[in-house]
Amino acid sequence: MVGRYQITLQARQARSASSAALAALLAIVLALALASVLFVSSGSGVLAGYRVVFSYAFFNPHGAVATLHRAVYLLLCTYAFLLPLRAGLWNIGLPGQVYAGALAAFGVPAVLGMSREAAPGWPPGAVIGLMILAAAAAGAAVGSVAGVLRARLQVNEILVTMMLNSILFWLVSFMIKEGGPLMGATAEGESFTLPLLLRAPLAGGIPVTAALAAAGAVLIDPLLARTALGYRIRAFGENPQAARYGGISPLALSLLVFAAGGATAGLAGYHTFAAIPGVYKIPGNYGFYGDLSFYGLITALIARGSALAAVPIAVLLSGLSLGARFAQGMLRLPFGVDYALLGLLMMTFVASHILDRFRVVWRRTPAGVLQPAPGDSRG
Amino acid sequence: MSDDRAVPLADPATPLLLARGITKRFPGVLALDRVDLEVRAGEVHAILGQNGAGKTTLMNILFGLLRPDEGVLYLRGRRVQFRSPHDAIAAGIGMVHQTRRLVAAHTVLENIILGHPRARGLLRLRRLRPEVEALCARYGVRVDLDARVWQLPEGQRQWVEILKALYGGARILILDEPTSALTPPEVAGLLAGLRTLVQEQGVTVLLVTHKLPIVKASSHRVTILRAGRVVARLVTAEATEDVLVRHMVGRDVAFRPAEDVTAGRPLLQVNGLWAYNDKGLPSVRGITFSLREGEVLGVAGVTGNGQEELAQVLAGLRPPAAGTVVFDGQDITHLPVLQRWQRGIGYVPADRSELASIAAFSLVENTALTYHFDPAFTPRGLLDGAGLEGLTQRIMAAFGVAAPHPYVRARHLSGGNLQRLVLGRVLSRAPRLLIAHLPTQGLDVEATAFVRGKILEARARGAAVVLISEDMDEILSCSDWVAPIYEGRFVAILSRREADPETVGAMMAGLERGVRVP
Amino acid sequence: MWELLARSLEASTVFLFAALGELVSQRAGTLNVGLEGLMLFGGTVAFIAARLTASYPAGLAAALAVGAVLGASHGFFSITLRGDQVVSGMGLWILSFGLTTYLGSPYTGPLGLPRMATLFGLSPFVYAGVALVVVSAVVLFRTGAGLAIRSVGENPLAAEASGIPVAATRYLCVIWGGLLAALAGAVYTLSYNPVWTYNFLMGWGFVSLALVFFSMWNPWILLAGASLFGLMWQLSLSPELVLPGVLSRYVWRTVPFAVTIPILVVISTPWFRSRWGLARPEALGRPYPAD
Repeated sequence: MVGRYQITLQARQARSASSAALAALLAIVLALALASVLFVSSGSGVLAGYRVVFSYAFFNPHGAVATLHRAVYLLLCTYAFLLPLRAGLWNIGLPGQVYAGALAAFGVPAVLGMSREAAPGWPPGAVIGLMILAAAAAGAAVGSVAGVLRARLQVNEILVTMMLNSILFWLVSFMIKEGGPLMGATAEGESFTLPLLLRAPLAGGIPVTAALAAAGAVLIDPLLARTALGYRIRAFGENPQAARYGGISPLALSLLVFAAGGATAGLAGYHTFAAIPGVYKIPGNYGFYGDLSFYGLITALIARGSALAAVPIAVLLSGLSLGARFAQGMLRLPFGVDYALLGLLMMTFVASHILDRFRVVWRRTPAGVLQPAPGDSRG
Repeated sequence: MSDDRAVPLADPATPLLLARGITKRFPGVLALDRVDLEVRAGEVHAILGQNGAGKTTLMNILFGLLRPDEGVLYLRGRRVQFRSPHDAIAAGIGMVHQTRRLVAAHTVLENIILGHPRARGLLRLRRLRPEVEALCARYGVRVDLDARVWQLPEGQRQWVEILKALYGGARILILDEPTSALTPPEVAGLLAGLRTLVQEQGVTVLLVTHKLPIVKASSHRVTILRAGRVVARLVTAEATEDVLVRHMVGRDVAFRPAEDVTAGRPLLQVNGLWAYNDKGLPSVRGITFSLREGEVLGVAGVTGNGQEELAQVLAGLRPPAAGTVVFDGQDITHLPVLQRWQRGIGYVPADRSELASIAAFSLVENTALTYHFDPAFTPRGLLDGAGLEGLTQRIMAAFGVAAPHPYVRARHLSGGNLQRLVLGRVLSRAPRLLIAHLPTQGLDVEATAFVRGKILEARARGAAVVLISEDMDEILSCSDWVAPIYEGRFVAILSRREADPETVGAMMAGLERGVRVP
Repeated sequence: MWELLARSLEASTVFLFAALGELVSQRAGTLNVGLEGLMLFGGTVAFIAARLTASYPAGLAAALAVGAVLGASHGFFSITLRGDQVVSGMGLWILSFGLTTYLGSPYTGPLGLPRMATLFGLSPFVYAGVALVVVSAVVLFRTGAGLAIRSVGENPLAAEASGIPVAATRYLCVIWGGLLAALAGAVYTLSYNPVWTYNFLMGWGFVSLALVFFSMWNPWILLAGASLFGLMWQLSLSPELVLPGVLSRYVWRTVPFAVTIPILVVISTPWFRSRWGLARPEALGRPYPAD
C-alpha cells in the first residue's frame, strides 16, 4: 500500500512475441546501464567506456573476428543448454561437457601418436573428423549421466551436472599438467599444440565449426515447433506427467536432450580449443572458457528457448564480453568486467522474466474495503 | 426468483450467525448474488446445492478465506469482518474442508495442536496430550494420537479435523461435503457423531452437501442455493426429497440406463495383479477379472482403495509388482504406454488438468498428446497442423467443448470443458478398451448424463470399459458387472442383477455380505 | 594428524552453516539452488570489509547484511511473485559468481590480519556450528514455531487453515537461509582459508545443497554428513597424508564430487525413498498459493 493507492501484481494471461522480445531487449539494456556504474567508478566516462567496448568488438578487424569465434562458441553452448531447457531440464553442466569435448578431441591424436608435427600415418581429414566425433560423443556421454539419473530416479540434474563440472575441471588439470597424458612439450601446464595438419579447416578465416552453429540456428526452432519429436520435447518440458500419459518415454526423452545438449557442448569445446586460429591447445586458464559457457546459458534464457533469436544475442554478448576484457586493459579497470556483466545480465533477466508474467496495477483503494484475502477456493 | 426467498428474516440479534446480501464476483462469474443465510444456535443447518451453486464460496466467506464484495455478517447479533481464517477461528468458527487440510506426514496430535495458542514456544506435549485425550473422550472419538495422518482411513482423518476445530474452541462447525470420500458405515458414524455434538455439547453445524439423503438424515433446516442465489429456505422435516431436488436442480434430469448389448469376444484378462503406490505400500493386492468386448466393469469404491494404481497399471503408467495383463490374446503386462495407445487402450485419468492435459498448450496441441505417434497425423515426422486442427474441431463439436477457437490454451478451459476435451480425445481414437476413472467428477447434472451417454455409446460400439467411480448411480446405471473394491481387492464381482445399492455399499466398506446402513 | 582433523572440522563448519540454513528454508518449502552464490557473495563481502576495516566483526556483519538481502530477494521472487524457484536460485548464483569476481579481484591475495583466536585449538565457528545444530533441532522438532515451519513446508494449505501465516514463515526461513549461507562464505574467507581468489568456492555450495538432501532434512544427520565431507575435502587436498604417491593430486580433487553423485543416486532409489522418503517436505519448491 502506498498512501491511498494499492499496488498489486496481476498474472498476465497471454504474452505476445513482441512483448517477449521487448523484455529481452530491456534486460540487456538494463544490464548495460547497470554495468556502466563500473566505468563510472573507475573514473572513465560511461560513453567513452562503451565506445572502447563496441569499437573493439565490432569494428576493429582483429576484435570482430574474435567476436565471431566467440559467438560460435556461445551459440554451441546456448544450444547445449536450450535443448534440455525446452524439455524442462537444467543442463548447467556446460563447462564439464566443454572440457570433455576438448579432452576427447585432443585424445584422438594423442592415442594415434600424432601429437607431434612429424607423426606418420592417418589422413589428416579423417583424424579431424574423428576428433570432432570424439568431442561430440564425450560431451554427450557426460550429459547423458545427468539425463539417465534424472529420468530413472528423479535425481536433481542441477546437482549432478554441477558435480560433473568439478570432476571434469580437475580431470583436465590432470591430463594437461604435471606429466599428464596430454601435456605439452614445454610443460607449462598446457596441452600439446595441435600439429598444423590437424587444425580445423578454415573458410575465409572462419573454422568449419561455424557451419554447425549456423545449422543449429536454422534447424533447431523448426525441429521443436514442427516435428513430432519436437512436440514430444516441448510436451515433456511443459508437463512431464501428461507427456508420460501420452506415451512419451521420460527416459528416452531426457537421455536424448541431455545427449544432444552434451554433444553440442562437446563441439563447443572442440571449436574453442582445436579450431580457433591462434589457439590450437588447451591452455592453462581453460577454466575461463568453462566460465564463459554460462554466457550460453544466459543467451538461451534471454532468447526464451529460440535458437534463431539466440544468434543476435550471442553475437552481442560475445562482443560485449570481449570488448569488456579489452576495455579492462585500456581503461585500467579491475579484472572481471566480463564476469560482472554476466552476473548483471542474469539478474536483469530473472527480473524481466518474472515481472513479465505480471502486470503492475495501481488501484485507488476505496475507503472501507480491505485488502483481498489470499483465498484460492471458489464455489 | 423463487417465492421462498420472501421468507422474512428474523431480527439480526436473534440468530447465532446471520449473513445478509452476500455478493461475490470472480472474473467473469457472479459466484454469489445477494445471499442471505440464517443459522440458529444448536441446529444442523444444511446448505444444499449442485456443483457450482456457490456453496463453497459462501462457506469460505463465513470462514474468512474470502471477502465478500458486498454484504454483512453478524455473529451473535454483532457485526463481524473476518480478514483471515484466524479471525474466524477466534470467533469460534471451525471449518472442515472437502479436501483434507491436514499435514499427512505429521502425527494426529501435531495436527490437532498446530496453530493453537497453547502450541507456542516450547511444545509441552506431556501437558497438551491429556487435554486432547480428554477432548476425544468427551466426544467419543477413538483415534491414535501418535499415528501419522497418512496412515489413517479417510473417515478418521475427518474426525481429526473436527477434533482440531473443537480443540481450537469452535462452537460453529462448517463441514464442506463431509461425506464425499467416506464409506457408508463411515457416513453413518459421522452423522451419529454430529448428532452427539449438537445435542449434548450444543455445537452448531453447517453442513454443505449436494447429497439429499445426507440432508434428510441429519439436518434441522436447509438453505438451497442454485447458481449463486438462495432459492429456498426450508425446515427439513417438512420437505420431501422431490421438493428438495426440484429446488436444487430446477428441472428434471433422467439418466438413460444401460441397455443390454450382446457381449463379444473376450478382450481383457487380468490375473493376480499386485502393485505398489508411491509410498511403496502394496495398494493393488491380487486383482483378477476378465472382460469381453461390449461390457462395462464398474469398479465401485471410495477413493484411496487402489483404484488409481489399478488404472495406472492397466494404462501402463505404473509397473505391476506381480500378475499378468492379457489384452486381445497378447501379454501386455510390461508393454510401454505408447504401444498401448497404438493397440487401442484409452485412459481417462481422474486428474484431467495435471495428468491428461498441458495447460500452456493450445487445444490443438493437446489433441496431439495422443496423436503424436499416429502416422496419419505425423507424415515424415512432421506434425500435421491442419489435420490436428480439424480433428480438434470435430472433438469440440461432438463433445460440446465451449471455447472460442481451437487455439485457446487449455488453462483457460473450465474443469468441465477440459473433461469433455480429454474424454473426446480418448474416444476419438475409438479405443477397444476404455479405462475411465471418475469420469463425471465435478460435472453438473447435464454434463454427467452426457458423459455417461458417451461411455455407453463406446460400449455399444463394442468397446470394453473399466469404469472406476465412487458414485453408486453411475456404477449401477452403466455397468454390466460391478466390482466393489476395498483395500486393493475386489470384494466380489457381481452381475448387474445381483448388484443392489445396499450390497455394493457394504462391500465398498469391506464387508463381504450386504449390511443395511441408515 | 591433529592438524588435519582441525582443518577438516573447519571445512565441515563451512558446509554445516550453509546447509543448515538451507535445511530450515527447505523445511518451510523454499528451495534455493543458488546457495553457492550466496556463499560467494557473503565470503567476498566479508573479506573486503574485514580487510578495509581490519576488523573481523565488521566482516561478519557485512556478510550477514548481504545474506539477508539476497535471501529476501530470493523470497520476493519465489514467495511474493511465485516465480520458478530454480530460475531465481540459478539467477542468484550466476549474479554472485559474476559480481564477486569483479568486486573481489582488486583484493586478490591474503587477508593480512592476524589469525582469528582459537578455542582449544579450534576456530570458534566450529563450536558455534555445533551449537546451531542443537538449536535448529530443538526449534524444528520441539517448538510450536518449528511445527509451524514444518507444516508450511509440508502442506501450506493445511497450515493456513490452522492460522499459520504461510508467506511470513517462508520469508523468515529463506532469510535465515541467506544469513547462514553468507556466514558460511565468511567463515571460509575469514577463517578457513583467508586468501581471496576468484570463484574461491569451486562447488562448496553445491555440495552443501546436496548435503541437505542427504540429511533427510534432519540437523543431526546433517552434522554427520558435513563432518564426513569436511574430512573428505581435507583429504582430497592432501592425499599424501594417507596414500602418498598414489594417483595425481588432481584426481584426488575430484573425489568429494565423485562421491556425491552415487550418494544422490542411492537416496533417490525407490528402495530408499519408500523407507525414508517421507522426510522430504511435500511442498518443497512449489509456490503457494498454486496457480
